[in-house]
Amino acid sequence: MTISNGDGDSAAKDGRRERKRKRRAEPSLVKWKTEGEQKTYSSKLIEALRRVRRSSATGAASAATDHSRSRAVREAADRALAAAARGRTRWSRAILCGRTLKRRVLPRAGRPKPVGPARAAERSKPPALKTKARVLGRLVPGCRKLPLPSLLEEVSDYIAALEMQVRAMSVIAEALSAVGGAPSPAQTEGPI
Amino acid sequence: MSSRRSRSRQMSSSRITDEQINDLLTKLQAVLPEAHLRSTDRVSAAKVLQDTCNYIRSLHREVDDLSERLSELLANNDINSAQAAIIRSLLR
Repeated sequence: MTISNGDGDSAAKDGRRERKRKRRAEPSLVKWKTEGEQKTYSSKLIEALRRVRRSSATGAASAATDHSRSRAVREAADRALAAAARGRTRWSRAILCGRTLKRRVLPRAGRPKPVGPARAAERSKPPALKTKARVLGRLVPGCRKLPLPSLLEEVSDYIAALEMQVRAMSVIAEALSAVGGAPSPAQTEGPI
Repeated sequence: MSSRRSRSRQMSSSRITDEQINDLLTKLQAVLPEAHLRSTDRVSAAKVLQDTCNYIRSLHREVDDLSERLSELLANNDINSAQAAIIRSLLR
């Protein structure tokens, strides 16, 4: 079997060019469903959980309320999830840049709408859609001022990532509740 | 060049078409939980956006509940290296 380089090459190049354009526009959603990705995320999350536990133990025990600890767990989980996205999506970059930036961005949200072709595009959408799109943009980190097509792409990736996060955290919680209960390492090897 | 501009104004946008948005909405609808119940013909944009918002909110709530559960489990006992190894083997 011979591989022809003549026409096939240019066709492959066109296909690659098209694929390159598509790859930039649509981050692959399949990777969030793979077991490997979930295992990697679970390991990273376990390490982060150990850090949270250590930091809450060394700090003032009275100040470490349940709520602040669960908040720290949630933030560690979100940060690990954003790191798993490898910076290809806007929401992951927004999470990694730190939640404090979100508060700084708020005053800028009052800016007037951009002039030009963008205004024509917004006029085509009914106001009900606009408000729903704005609510959606507020739910996804870092996507408040995004135009609708980019917002929808970010949303689909964010949903897939969140589903993986829920799956991984459930598995860890089940494993911890099965294994935990004994602070000393010697007793944990008994039932297993 | 001026003819292109007037044509784009008639199409209501130069790059973003309604078809593109509809296509993205269809894909988004496929990801939502009750995708198998809905017919694939009609994509009501408002309904898809509303369902997406609700779904993201419910996912956030699940993550919060799991974080609370994990923090409670952590409070009782730290994950030492032996337990971490056991958990990793359970995940495998």
